[in-house]
Amino acid sequence: MAQNLHEFLLRVKALFQKRRLERELADELAFHQAMLHDKLLKQGVAQADVEEATRRSFGSASRWQERLRELWQFRSLENFGRDVSYGVRVLRRTPGFTAVAILTLALGVGANTTVFSMINGLLLRPLAVPESDRLAVIGISQGNPRTNYSFSEPLFRGLEHRHDVFTQVFAFDHALMQVKGEGGNENVPGQMVSGEFFSALETAPLLGRTLTPVDDRKGGNPAGYGVVISEGFWQRWFNRAPNVIGQKLTINNVAFTVVGVMPKRFIGADPLERPELFVAMAAEPALNGTRSMTAAGFHAWWLTVMGRLQPQPTLLQADAQVAAASDAVLHEAIPDSGWIADREKRHFHFVAESGSGGFTYLRLMFRKPLTAVFAMCAGILLLACMNLASLLMARGAARQRELATRLAMGATRRRLVQQLLVESLLIAVTGTAAGLAISPLVSKSLSVFLLGGGSEMHVDTSLDIRVFAFAAIASLVATLLVGLVPALQATSGNLNEHIKNGQHTTQAHERQRILPRIMMAGEVGLALMLVVGAGLLASSLVRLYRSGAGFDPRGIENIAFSMDQQPLMGDALMRFYQQLGDGFSHQTGVTSVSFARIVPFTHYVWDENLSAPGAKEHDIYQNSVGPDYFRTMRIPLFEGREFAWSDTTASGLKIILNKSAAALLFPDRSALGQTVLNKEDKATLQYQVVGVVGDAKYEELRSPAPPTAYSAMTQNSHEDSRSYNAVVHMNGKPGPIANAARALVMQIDPGIPAPVVTSMQSIIDDSLSAERTMALLSVFFALCALVVTAVGLYGTLAYATARRTSEIGIRMALGARRSQVVAMVFFQNASVALAGTALGLGAALLASRALASFLYGTSTRDPRVFAGSIAALAMIASAASLLPALKSARIDPMTAIRCE
Amino acid sequence: MGTITDSGELIQGTLEMLILKALLRGPLHGYSVAEWIQQTSQQMLKVEEGALYPALHRMELRGMLKSKWGISDNNRKAKFYELTADGRKRLDAESQRWARLSSAVAFVMQAS
Repeated sequence: MAQNLHEFLLRVKALFQKRRLERELADELAFHQAMLHDKLLKQGVAQADVEEATRRSFGSASRWQERLRELWQFRSLENFGRDVSYGVRVLRRTPGFTAVAILTLALGVGANTTVFSMINGLLLRPLAVPESDRLAVIGISQGNPRTNYSFSEPLFRGLEHRHDVFTQVFAFDHALMQVKGEGGNENVPGQMVSGEFFSALETAPLLGRTLTPVDDRKGGNPAGYGVVISEGFWQRWFNRAPNVIGQKLTINNVAFTVVGVMPKRFIGADPLERPELFVAMAAEPALNGTRSMTAAGFHAWWLTVMGRLQPQPTLLQADAQVAAASDAVLHEAIPDSGWIADREKRHFHFVAESGSGGFTYLRLMFRKPLTAVFAMCAGILLLACMNLASLLMARGAARQRELATRLAMGATRRRLVQQLLVESLLIAVTGTAAGLAISPLVSKSLSVFLLGGGSEMHVDTSLDIRVFAFAAIASLVATLLVGLVPALQATSGNLNEHIKNGQHTTQAHERQRILPRIMMAGEVGLALMLVVGAGLLASSLVRLYRSGAGFDPRGIENIAFSMDQQPLMGDALMRFYQQLGDGFSHQTGVTSVSFARIVPFTHYVWDENLSAPGAKEHDIYQNSVGPDYFRTMRIPLFEGREFAWSDTTASGLKIILNKSAAALLFPDRSALGQTVLNKEDKATLQYQVVGVVGDAKYEELRSPAPPTAYSAMTQNSHEDSRSYNAVVHMNGKPGPIANAARALVMQIDPGIPAPVVTSMQSIIDDSLSAERTMALLSVFFALCALVVTAVGLYGTLAYATARRTSEIGIRMALGARRSQVVAMVFFQNASVALAGTALGLGAALLASRALASFLYGTSTRDPRVFAGSIAALAMIASAASLLPALKSARIDPMTAIRCE
Repeated sequence: MGTITDSGELIQGTLEMLILKALLRGPLHGYSVAEWIQQTSQQMLKVEEGALYPALHRMELRGMLKSKWGISDNNRKAKFYELTADGRKRLDAESQRWARLSSAVAFVMQAS
C-alpha cells in the first residue's frame, strides 16, 4: 500500500514536471552512452565500430525514452487523454452527426433530469431539518384502500401525550391569516402548530424563541398569544428591525405578540408551503371564531400529524406501537360510542410512515402522474440511445477500414473498444451538460404549470446532489447503451477481410446488418408506444373539456372576498354584496353579476340530506347563490324563476333544484312549488322549490354533474359562511375588473383584504393541471419520438445505401429500372418499420392499461387512437425511407462501378 | 556467460537483487552499477542497458531507491542512485530468499 502510494505520488509529480522528466531521461542516456563510448575507445575499438556498438545496445533514442517514460505515467489516464483528443477530432470531422447526436441526448437527458428534479422536489428531497430521517408521518387506516392523513384535534391530543416511541408527536395545518397593516388587512400564509412542532423540527430561531407546549395550552399562554414569524416576513413587515421581539401583530382581529423569527431555510414540515406566520393551535378558536375546528371536536378533520422517532426504535416498531395505541386513543378522544363502534368494525388503526420529506397532499395527487411521465421520459431516453447506437453502428461500418488498420498495427481490441466508448462518452457528457443547463428553467415552468400559476405552492426543483447523481448515471448508461454494442460490433470480424475489401463488400456483412435493423425495429416499436400513450391522454383531455361543465365558463370572472373576519352580518352583509353587485354591473363590459358561496371545481363540497315530505332522505350537494346566478353562469332555467334580492328570510326559505335533484326528490311529479325538507339536529328547514335548472358539474370536471340544490344567499342562516365570490360575466377583456374590485371594496370598507380575481377558465385549467401536464408532456414526447425515429430511419438507411452504391450501380448497369431500385431500398426500411409497428402494437396494448386510471371516457384500446398513431408513424417512416431511396435512384451506374 | 535481459520473472527479480547489492556500498550511477555487476561476477553476468534502466526507474518509483544528480569521476553530470531504508530491507529479504533457493537447487542437483 505504502509502495503504491509512493509510486502514485511520484507519478503525479512527473505529470506536472513532464519537461524535466524528458530532459533527465535524455541526460541519463547521454551519460551512459558517453561512458560506454569512452570505455570502448580505451579498449582500442575503431571509432566507427564504437558508434555502431553504442547504437546497437540502445536502439533508437526515442524508443528508449518512450519505454522509460511509460513507467512514470498513468498509462490508462494518458491513453484516455489521447482517446479524448482523438475522439474530439473525429467528432469534429462530422459536425452534422455530432450536432444531431448531442441534441438528441441533450433532449433525452434534459427531459429526464427535468422530470426527475420535479420528482425529487415533490417526493424525494428530505426536509432541511436535522436528522430528517427520524421523522414519521402518522396516518389513519380505516378499511379504505387509501390511508387518511387528516386528524381531528381530540385524536391528535390523544396521540400527543402517548409518545412512547417518539420523542415528540406534533401537528400542523396551513391557514391564510389576515394581518392588519397600515393599508388595511393583508392575507398572509401561515400555519397553526402544536406545542412540540418546533422542538421536533429542531431548528433554532434567528431571534427570540419558538413556540412551546406552554403556548399550546388550552386558552393559550397566560402571557397572551405568541406568533413566530419567518425571516421573509421580518424583512417585509418589520424591515429587519432588531427589536421585533415583543411587537404586536393583529391577526384575524386577534392581538398577537411576536416571540421569535425563524431563519429562511425553515419552511415547516410541508415541503410545498412557505408559511410566514406560526401560531399555536390553542389560538385556533380565537382566530376562527364560530368556524373553529377545535370547537367542532372530532367532526373536523384538519390536522397533519407527524412524529420524531426516539434514537432506538425503527419505523416498523413505531408503526406497530401507534397501531396498538389506536383503541385507547379512540376511546379516550371520541365521546360518541356509536361512532367508535363503526370505526372499530372497520379496523380503525393508526399507521406510521417515513416522513423524512415532510408531508404534502400533493404527493398523493401527483405521485402517479409523475411516475407515468417519468416512464415516458425514460422511454424517450432509451429511444434516443437506440437511435444513436444504430447511427454509430452504421458509422462504425463505414469506419471499418480505419479500425482494421489500427488492429493490424497492433492495437488490442480492448483499446479500440475503449476508443469508441470514449467517443460516445464525449457525446453523452456534452449532451448531459446541455440537458442540465436547460433543465432548471424547464422544471420551473413545469412546476408552475402543474401547480397552477397563482398557487401558494412552491416545489423546490433546484439542482441538488441527487439530481446530479441522476444525470451522471443517466449519461453513463447512455454512453454504454450508445457506445458498447456498436463498438463491439465494429471491432469484431475478420481483420484481413476488412482491409482487403474495405467498404465495398456486400457479401460478408449480411450478419452485421441484422443488428441495426433489430434496433431500428425496436425503436419504431417504442415510438409507437409513446405515440399511442400520448394519443390516449390527449384524446381523454379533449373529451374532458368537451364533456362540458353544464355552464359556460367563457367570459366569467370570479372575485373572491374574505369577509369572515368582518363584523358585517345578516341583512347588513347582504346590503354590502348588493352594493358590490351594483358597482360591478356598472363597469364597462360587464353583462351580468351574481354571487356564489362555492365556485365549481375548487374542491369545496357542501352536502345536505334533503327529502320530499314523507319520502326518504337523499345526499344532495348544495350551494348558496345570489340573484341572477343562472343567467350569469348560462345554466338553463327550465322552470320557475331565479332568486331575487327580495327573497329575504322573512319571505320563507326558497330553493332551486337542478334537473337530477328534481328527478331524485320528485320522481313522479313536477318539482316546481313542492316542499323540500332538511332535517337538522335542532330544527327542520322547510324550503319551497321556486325553480328547476340544468345540471352543472360541481366538484370536478371528471365526475358527472351531481344532484344539486341551490339556496338563496339572501336567506343564508350560516353565520360562518360570510365570504362569497362575485361571479361576473363580461364581454371582452377582463383587464380593469381587478382594479375596479379593489377600488369598490376600499370605498365600502378598507378593512376588507383586497379581493382575488380568477377567470373561470383558469379555474377549470387548474383543476385539470395534472391531466393537462401529462397530456402536453406526452404529446411533446411523442413528437420527439417521431422526430428521433425519423432521423434514425433516415440515417441508417442513408448509410446502408451509401455502402451499396456499387452494387446498385451494377444492378442498374444490368438493366434494373430506377423504380425498381427505389422500391428495393424503400422496402428494406419498410420491412423494419412493419416489424417494429407489430412489436410496438403488442407492447402498447399491454402497457396502455397502466394509463387506465388517467383516462376519461377513453378506452385503453381506443381504435381511433391506435389507427392514428400507426398512420402517423407510417407517414414518418415512409418519408424517412423515401429520401435515401430516391437518392439511390440517382446513382450513375458508370461512376458507381468505376469507384470500385 | 549469462546475459540479463528484461524478460522473465525470475531474472527480473534477480536483477533487482543484484542492483540493490551493488548499491549497498554507496551511491552509484547506472553505468557503474552495470560495470560493478559485470566485474564482480567475473564477466559472467552482463547487464543489458535495456533491462538496467527500466529496472532502476521501476525501483525508484517503488521507493527502494532514491536518486540525485551529481558529478561523476570524469566530471560529467550523472544520475546517482542510492538505497533507501525500504531498499535495504528488500535486499535482506531477497538475499535470504536467494540463499534458500540456491541451496535447495544445490541439494537437488547433488542428489545421486
